[in-house]
Amino acid sequence: MDATEFNSASTGSLGTTAKTVLREAGIGIALIVLIIVFSLSTQHFLTSSNVTNILTQVTINLVLSIGMTFVILIGGIDLSVGSVLAFAAVVAGTVMTLPGLDPSVAVMLATASAVAAGILFGLLNGLVSAWWGIPSFIVTLGTLNVARGAALQVTGASTIYSFPAAFNAFGSQTIYGVPVLFLIALLLVAVGWFVLTRTVFGRVLYGIGNNEEATRLAGHNVFFYKVAAFTICGAAVGIGAIIYMARLNIASPIIGIGFELNAIAAVIIGGTSLNGGRGSIIGTLLGACIIGVLANGLILLGLSDFMRQMITGFVIILAVILDKYRERLTKA
Amino acid sequence: MAIVEDRMKFGKIIAAGILAASLTVPAVSFAADKPVVGLVMKSLANEFFKNMLEGAKTHEAKRGDYTLKAVGMQSETDIETQINAVESFITEKVDAIVVAPADSRALVPPLKRAMEAGITVVNFDVALDEKAKQEAGVELAFVGPDNRAGAKMAGDALAKKLGEGAKVVIIEGNPGADNATQRKLGFEDAVKEGKLDLIDSRTAHWETEEANSVFANMFTANPDIKGVMAANDSMAVGVVKAIEAAGKSGQIEVVGFDNIPAVQPLLKEKKMLATVDQFGQQMAADAIDKALGVLKGGAPLKGWVKTDIKLVTSDDVK
Repeated sequence: MDATEFNSASTGSLGTTAKTVLREAGIGIALIVLIIVFSLSTQHFLTSSNVTNILTQVTINLVLSIGMTFVILIGGIDLSVGSVLAFAAVVAGTVMTLPGLDPSVAVMLATASAVAAGILFGLLNGLVSAWWGIPSFIVTLGTLNVARGAALQVTGASTIYSFPAAFNAFGSQTIYGVPVLFLIALLLVAVGWFVLTRTVFGRVLYGIGNNEEATRLAGHNVFFYKVAAFTICGAAVGIGAIIYMARLNIASPIIGIGFELNAIAAVIIGGTSLNGGRGSIIGTLLGACIIGVLANGLILLGLSDFMRQMITGFVIILAVILDKYRERLTKA
Repeated sequence: MAIVEDRMKFGKIIAAGILAASLTVPAVSFAADKPVVGLVMKSLANEFFKNMLEGAKTHEAKRGDYTLKAVGMQSETDIETQINAVESFITEKVDAIVVAPADSRALVPPLKRAMEAGITVVNFDVALDEKAKQEAGVELAFVGPDNRAGAKMAGDALAKKLGEGAKVVIIEGNPGADNATQRKLGFEDAVKEGKLDLIDSRTAHWETEEANSVFANMFTANPDIKGVMAANDSMAVGVVKAIEAAGKSGQIEVVGFDNIPAVQPLLKEKKMLATVDQFGQQMAADAIDKALGVLKGGAPLKGWVKTDIKLVTSDDVK
């Protein structure tokens, strides 16, 4: 990439930055409206313990959604997320409960192995879809089954439990009412935001989502970037698995079923386009919060399970319709 | 030349002999001494059914007088695999089919065909739908636990511990699943009898993480909850963690169902009051015993043959 190209790319991104901020503001307003509605209509919504609850419940989905944002930005999708989470969790659980290991060593090794397991599947997804040019929808549908089967095979379908007491306690720790696990997720949001908006790497990912051929002609190794996006998603899933274990003190091969759908929903509600090229991590953070606030608030309102499911579905449809309008505005 | 011809003849005779043997011998041995039992299981990804299958395999080795052919499915809702399994068992002419149906209606027609083909059919774990059986004109016994009675035992233990008027909630299994419905009804029976105050009842789809979130939210809405009845132990684990996170350990009692290994430490530390063991490992083996009994000339099974259930508390965990 020569200097003139880079300049034109960055001036181009200035315009999109303004649009991104506007888009995020819209989602932020939606979230605030929801919060106001639930605060007025229910007794306990804005209590400190409930805020702690919501943040706890948002955390895993937020971490998965950060990874998913990278994949969707390049125009891909990762359906294997929930299964890979289960695989990473049972690998980490097995390591953590190895006899004769010092608890702190066990936790560190387990964390490393969860992330490694996630990266392994991310690499697999990325390499296969980028090398043969297969839609990631199909490839990750395959790895969804591979990872679930592997998780069941490793454990013989049994649940792993009784992790070190300190690890268990860490999972429910809070600082001024904010769960430590959520702070970890926020840190990942910050890293993701920086990578996507302040590095050439991030700008190229947007470029691939907008126009893959042009990005290739500009001299970028598109293959590398695609594999990288899926690998980042896999690593996020590995971290999500450790967070799951810290929060619930179990690891089982049947956890995480359907988590990919929640993550995709958070990313889409957060304003990232399923076609790739448009969207942001901050939007994803807001999207995950909207899903968490809805799930919590609708229970506090006393709505039935079935009504809750319908409303959450409608919100996703609404988000996609809004995205269509945004698309027209951007083109105009 | 003659020798060669003789050899060829000899070879042909041997070949024919082997062919005949391979065609007839297994069939003869199936029919004469060892009956073949086809076992149709639910998802082997579920620890409960995997243990059940292992129990059946141990049982086969122990009895030694029958051959077991087991088929599991990919997921809880993979009904087609079960139907295909029944159909291939009919083609193979097995002597008995023992089935834990994934859908209490969809399995009725293929099982009817099996019975018409002279195969002994025993239904276990989840009962086939009465109406569907009547419409098909099938008389089929059910071998299995009384989920409603089991849930009532757990609910009764909770009522006894909390006393009248205590506020309780139910965490349900998958809406529409028969065992989820039965367990919910059993919990409600205990609520009525123990005069508990049931303030909410929601599904967490059998899942730990969802139960953890759903209960935390229910508890926020109703901070005076004193007891929780979870329709399985995986969800009870999530509820216990939510209580811990809220700093209310020991102030809210939890009962579950299934007696999985992961709740043993919770029962021991009295973070859980009780669970219910329905001896899943035994269930398939019991059903096979019943099928073999009929094959050996016993009376055909009728109605509901109930299997054991037992309340498990901290006293049982040592």
